[in-house]
Amino acid sequence: MLDESILSNLVETLHPLEKQVLRVFAEKDKQDSAALVSASGLKPSQISTAIEWLLAKEIIVVADEKSNAVVSLTEIGQRYAKAKNPPLRMAEDILSKGEISIRELQQRTDMEAEEKSRAIGSLKASGAVSVLPGGRFLISDESKLAEFRDLQSVIDALAEKDHITSFVDFSEQARGIIDLNHRKRSPSKGIFRVELEVDRIYKKTERFEAVYQKMASEQTVETLSELTAEMLKDGTWRGKQFRKYNIGLPPPRISGGALHPYKAFLDQVKTQFVSMGFSEMRGPLVENEFWDMDALYMPQFHPAREIHDVYFVKNTPADQTIPEEVVARVAATHENGGESGSRGWGYTFDAERTRRLILRSQGTSVSARILGGGLGDQGKGANIPGKYFSIARCFRYDQVDATHAPDFFQVEGIVLGEEIHFRTLLGLLTQFAKEVARAEEIKFLPAYFPFTEPSVEMHVRHPKLGWMELGGAGLFRPEVTGPLGVDVPVIAWGLGLDRMAMIALGISDIRDLFSSDLGLIREKQNIVQGKSLS
Amino acid sequence: MPTIEVSIRDIEALLQKTPNDETLDQERLETLLEKVKGEVKDFFPETDSVKIELNDTNRPDLWSPEGIARQILPASSSWSTRYPFFAPSTPATQKIVVSKEVASLRPYVAACISRGLHVTEAILDQLIQSQEKLADSFGRRRQTVSIGLYRLQKIQFPVSYDLVDPEACFFVPLGFDEEMSLKQIITEHPKGIEYAATLAGAKRFPILRDAAGEVLSFPPIINSRALGEVAVGDSELFVEVTGTDLRMVTLAINIFAANLSDRGATIEPVKLEYPEETAFGSNFQTPYDLSQAVVLKLSELNRVLGETVQLEEAVSVFESYGLSVDASGEEMKITSAPYRDDLMHSIDLVEDFAISRGYDSFSPTIPSTYTVGSLSRIEEFSDAMRVAMVGFGFEEVVSNILGSAEDFTQKMGLASDPTARPETDIVEIENPMTERFSLLRSWLLPALLRVEGNSSKAFYPHRLFEVGEVARMAPNTAAQTETLIHLGALIAHPGANFSELHAVLEALFHRLSLPVRLEPASHPSFIEGRSGAILINTLKVGQIGEIVPGVLEAWQIGMPTVAFELDLERIYSV
Repeated sequence: MLDESILSNLVETLHPLEKQVLRVFAEKDKQDSAALVSASGLKPSQISTAIEWLLAKEIIVVADEKSNAVVSLTEIGQRYAKAKNPPLRMAEDILSKGEISIRELQQRTDMEAEEKSRAIGSLKASGAVSVLPGGRFLISDESKLAEFRDLQSVIDALAEKDHITSFVDFSEQARGIIDLNHRKRSPSKGIFRVELEVDRIYKKTERFEAVYQKMASEQTVETLSELTAEMLKDGTWRGKQFRKYNIGLPPPRISGGALHPYKAFLDQVKTQFVSMGFSEMRGPLVENEFWDMDALYMPQFHPAREIHDVYFVKNTPADQTIPEEVVARVAATHENGGESGSRGWGYTFDAERTRRLILRSQGTSVSARILGGGLGDQGKGANIPGKYFSIARCFRYDQVDATHAPDFFQVEGIVLGEEIHFRTLLGLLTQFAKEVARAEEIKFLPAYFPFTEPSVEMHVRHPKLGWMELGGAGLFRPEVTGPLGVDVPVIAWGLGLDRMAMIALGISDIRDLFSSDLGLIREKQNIVQGKSLS
Repeated sequence: MPTIEVSIRDIEALLQKTPNDETLDQERLETLLEKVKGEVKDFFPETDSVKIELNDTNRPDLWSPEGIARQILPASSSWSTRYPFFAPSTPATQKIVVSKEVASLRPYVAACISRGLHVTEAILDQLIQSQEKLADSFGRRRQTVSIGLYRLQKIQFPVSYDLVDPEACFFVPLGFDEEMSLKQIITEHPKGIEYAATLAGAKRFPILRDAAGEVLSFPPIINSRALGEVAVGDSELFVEVTGTDLRMVTLAINIFAANLSDRGATIEPVKLEYPEETAFGSNFQTPYDLSQAVVLKLSELNRVLGETVQLEEAVSVFESYGLSVDASGEEMKITSAPYRDDLMHSIDLVEDFAISRGYDSFSPTIPSTYTVGSLSRIEEFSDAMRVAMVGFGFEEVVSNILGSAEDFTQKMGLASDPTARPETDIVEIENPMTERFSLLRSWLLPALLRVEGNSSKAFYPHRLFEVGEVARMAPNTAAQTETLIHLGALIAHPGANFSELHAVLEALFHRLSLPVRLEPASHPSFIEGRSGAILINTLKVGQIGEIVPGVLEAWQIGMPTVAFELDLERIYSV
């Protein structure tokens, strides 16, 4: 039997929605949500709210539940619905052309590198293809392609239906295929999504009768469900009671505004540089080869400038912003050293190519622009003495995987002035190690960068990560500063902070820094803010 | 950056350590490798193997265990004593005759002979690795430099270097049993297919043959099986380098000769007979000393390093790094060994000094100059807008700048054919790696919709924003493109509508004390009649509207969604 005080508390805190649901239960012991909706005239969302409350008050319980697995296509699955699954797409190409070299298969741009290598592997494993000398692929047993065709027919069936489909409605073979390729199971992110939908049946508990009786008998006592502005105005609230809330119930969830955790991390980095006396620089995402490489004394034949290392922009005329006389000085420096005292790279500089547009491949281009006073209408050149930094989005021709994002942030900058030399370079890096990484132990190693000499790599003992490379730096070569008209020594530096950011955010895949899953972003929102980078 | 795989015992032996010395563990090796800008990638004592990455792309002489040991060991005697074969007075024993015709395609050849080094399996592996690294990284995939090794005793000198008709010349290449024509080789032989591009456009192909007409090789593609298959047990080798740059070709043979010599071989120079003058003359022999003296003033050394080094110390530090110094007064005339060709400027010597003495021998000094720090104005403005959006209850997202044509056009309800859509301003990549990352975003809305489409599991309402860079073609400007900072915002939940987001926009501009108004404007991504241009006076600064259902479906979004996008740079300029 229920204690009287508990009973009256239960009844007093009943919300009108709960009361309506209880009235439906009075007529029938067991109900499912659909029946409650039709019998009460309430909206499904109101029913689920009321049920949640009544369950918490133990007036009803779950009597039974039926779960139903439903299948839909993931984003990858939808791509394959349009363009077929990768092994099948490759196989059909091979069939239509007779044979295709592995090189050609690897060079196709309609799938990711991971997809290509997995597709080639699956084709080999299926026994459908033979590999001829010279790495040429031939379909030797078309019947073995059945597994890929079967997979495609399941994908196509799901793509045709615009409603969600029950797992049990599929044939046994199709269920097997879905099972092997769904999100959790498959090595990639999966073609199918399988989600459980649960349908519950509720029944009354022992409490029900007492609560319902008391509720029915107390109908006459008038309680107010809410306080309105009108009541305050006309005073009708006087002498009335308010319905009591069950304040132990969970409230509706809200997320609230928040900065992105990775941006918050970069904001802190910015603050640290500004507090060390650095000014922020900006530069364009689409660069020309001049500021990205030529001005940095990277010869035009440098391996990092080839078609498989830099992204070129399609269909664009040459950049006309670079001053002619600066190009001429840089060209002379590359060819024979010009007036820099160097012997140069000894090749013929291509003054057309230098104006070609590319996607910025290194943040140092932003420094080169400010050294050359090349910020167009935005700026003059660098102050002497001066300290500058930028957090620049860069693009590198790399396979996208857990350690390579298609574009990423580089933190870099320059320090220039009469007092700059190798020992002040080491001093500056020491300061970075202490301020940015909170590291006390530092190691300097010889390094190579095309635009600095001497060059140094800084390793620090991070309080959590142990020894790690924090960044690279050096003094700009005279071949860089001379042609840009800078006559004091210049430190160029760059820091690799992604690894620290990933540790601070507790993620192991760099792609998650740019995650498009709001659930994941929300999980990480509070980790970095207000804490130091270490 | 090349990575080489080396036997730990081999590198230990090259460092002239006796078995009683402390063993070469990983830490010790890492410390030693600092002097050559090398990094240990994998260290497997069980299989006696270590992978070393060499970072200095200008020092191909360091891309071998011999080269690494040569630089790490303190120089006991000058290079001219250790490598006498660089002196023109060392007699050449054999000769290569170069035809006039090669000048148009692959003009240069250099060679040397190695005797007395018994080739073991380990040595053969190292020779092949050095050959490949030099040709691949330094020689740009054999385009500018390639190297061939042969059994000396089978060759009848003089060797000739010439061009031939690719269909009229036959030989048995390495890896095959039958004779093939040069044309067959570049279409059928795996190496031919791989390196055919080095001969693109050529009608006649290079060939090296001996006095009996026997083929040595078809450079830079493949050696002949008869003369060019070096095996364990050989002890007399002929080495040749061909290429398009005389200095690089010469440097490669110099490095190879020094490597063989370090392993105990006696090197004999080979004479080259060119039909015309080259930078080294028409008749000269290789290995060839191409080193040039560079002058470094003591004051420059001290200025760059921030030190007060005395001349005596400077000379001894340079000499222990394998450099020859001729000092007089303030000036040092410094010459590197002929297997190095990286001294472009006296600054390069300053670094050599620092490495030789050790970076840890320099005490760091914090620069004391006072400068005032500041953010860029537009970044400061963007940050203020971010804070305002957070205050309105929005959550920030960060997305990639690269995307696909599908994301930026089809899924947005825009024509995929660039000529058929009004938005001709998207920057496209000429050489994308995959279609998924082939365009730069010109606005942020597609990225916000991607997040919304992937976030149906996260509880609603969703109020998202991003502040970030976008790029556009700007054909009427000198730069041809422009980078702008945009603010995009989106609301999605069962009751999301225009007025909810309009209220946010209004509040945002109220904080900026700027008058804002909307003007109806249709756009394929938004519902007709529920979208508008955002204007400050007559200046268009953005777009707002309810997203059209077809677009929501394309992104798999199951909630009504409303969004706006603002050009912050334009707003800042007001």
